[in-house]
Amino acid sequence: MMRILLLCWSLAPLLWQLRTSFLVGDVLVGEQSQPGLSPWTLANYRLVLHGDPSLIQVLLNSTVLGLITTLLTLILALPCAYGLHALRGHLQRSIHAGLVGAALFPTVLLFLSLLQVARSLGLANHLLALSLPYAALSLPFAILLLQAAINDLPPELEDAARLDGLHTLQRLRLIVAPLLTPALASTGLLVFLASWNEYPIALTWLSRSDRLTLPAAMGRIASSSVYTIPYGPYAAATVLGSLPLLLLVLLFQRWIISGLTQGAVKG
Amino acid sequence: MRGLQLDQLTRQVAGRTLLEGLDLKVAQGECVALLGPSGCGKTTTLRLVAGLDPLSEGRVLLDGHDISHLDPGQRRVGMVFQSYALYPHLSVADNLTLGLRVRGIPTSEREERLAQILALLQLEELRLRRPSQLSGGQRQRVALGRALLRQPRIMLLDEPMSNLDAQLREELRPELRRLLTSAGHPVLYVTHDQQEAVGMADRIAVLDQGRLQQVGNPRELHHHPVNRFVASFIGRPAINLFPPLAGRQLGVRPEHLQLVPSDGIPARLLRAEWSGPQQVLWLESAAGLLRMLWSPTSLPPEQLLVGWADDAALAFDERSGERLPCCEPGWNRDLIRSLQQ
Repeated sequence: MMRILLLCWSLAPLLWQLRTSFLVGDVLVGEQSQPGLSPWTLANYRLVLHGDPSLIQVLLNSTVLGLITTLLTLILALPCAYGLHALRGHLQRSIHAGLVGAALFPTVLLFLSLLQVARSLGLANHLLALSLPYAALSLPFAILLLQAAINDLPPELEDAARLDGLHTLQRLRLIVAPLLTPALASTGLLVFLASWNEYPIALTWLSRSDRLTLPAAMGRIASSSVYTIPYGPYAAATVLGSLPLLLLVLLFQRWIISGLTQGAVKG
Repeated sequence: MRGLQLDQLTRQVAGRTLLEGLDLKVAQGECVALLGPSGCGKTTTLRLVAGLDPLSEGRVLLDGHDISHLDPGQRRVGMVFQSYALYPHLSVADNLTLGLRVRGIPTSEREERLAQILALLQLEELRLRRPSQLSGGQRQRVALGRALLRQPRIMLLDEPMSNLDAQLREELRPELRRLLTSAGHPVLYVTHDQQEAVGMADRIAVLDQGRLQQVGNPRELHHHPVNRFVASFIGRPAINLFPPLAGRQLGVRPEHLQLVPSDGIPARLLRAEWSGPQQVLWLESAAGLLRMLWSPTSLPPEQLLVGWADDAALAFDERSGERLPCCEPGWNRDLIRSLQQ
């Protein structure tokens, strides 16, 4: 019973969005629907899919950017985590503390200075250039997560690999990385989510409409008219924007759950 | 000299000494068991020989050559870990050949050596299984195979039987011993089970608190322990240590206690433990609990007097625990008299 209540609590806003996305605008602001006409419509979806930019383009932008960001983050974070795991003593503790600090830093404070960087390096309006700050901001968290997962691996595995004559990079590639697949999947998903949701940096770096990411495009839809709030199109964009994530979670479900509970019990 | 020689092996970590000045020689084809309680430095010793941990002092010599500076991968060491440490994501065949693959051994030779090892350890049918699909005994064989496939010049085993059930352990012992010593390499075998040490090893090295206490064959350790620790660690049921008297402490093995008509320690029978060829009697006395061996078919009276032959007792220095060169008959009498009051 409690579970069902909690499920409703979490799902209600989403279902409301879903309902909203299929209603005509007049009904949404409280007017009676015209007699003889159905209040249900696909017009909101048509609007966002044929708008400028088309939501298809926007989703494509966000997906490509998210994938590149995730790949970049994991490729950098895995060796960092592995190296950090091998360190001992003060050095490890201070790097660890530094990473925690960086992970907790509110990123919204950074967007102005990042804009300066983008301007001076000519990175504005390059979609993939966004993956640089995104990866940088996700790295501390990703390193900490992966390091925790590496700490959970039995240390004898590494010893056995050393006796087998594997050097450091071979151990990382052939032993550690395959065993970290669940942790890599869950960390990757969190990084992808962060990139998918990021707003202030995308807003300031991108202005050309064919380069917009989902949050920036949503912002445009919301502020497209001074006189009305476009609830319907906005809800339609929300629904379409959450579909790719749903797909990802379903695909990686098995690994994500085992990754998130890793270290909770001794196996 | 041929074989493995450990010269003043020392390991200190953060001011704590895990192993101090260990000297030990293991000849070709000889199996030496490192025996001791947890934390005595047995596993540390193995890891130092394998090169997995850095030496604080000392040298590891193989056939007279110093190999202390070599990486673990270059030492040609075969090691079986307590947990077996099989790669969980690889099949049995890949577990075995990973080392050969990264060393660039050609496929044909790899396959040949793999086939040999699989046949030797009767693992052919399991070659495509993952470690999680194997039983404990099978995992142990794979771990052993991985160590042997490296064509090692030293074999190291860290409690390789501790994850197996008691019956399997006993069954595997002769087979394992044959596999290990047939190749003619020095073998170091870590265990905390003296039964296993006796069954596996030619000689036993007893360690305690990072120091080597004594090396010898099981008989020597049993009859001529150099100190109190070895005397009490070796031999089951354990030796009876009497309360110290005048700076000396006497110990008498359970098999040397006997009933005496007079001049004995009064004791009361608490329990008789039947163990096949004999019974272990637990006696309560002024000296605390005593263990005594008895024939399996009868029981002694409830109240009894126990003593021992004059030459049966071992005498130790009370403070240092060192074995005293002899035990004078007068010491026995003094002790018994003190316990009669």
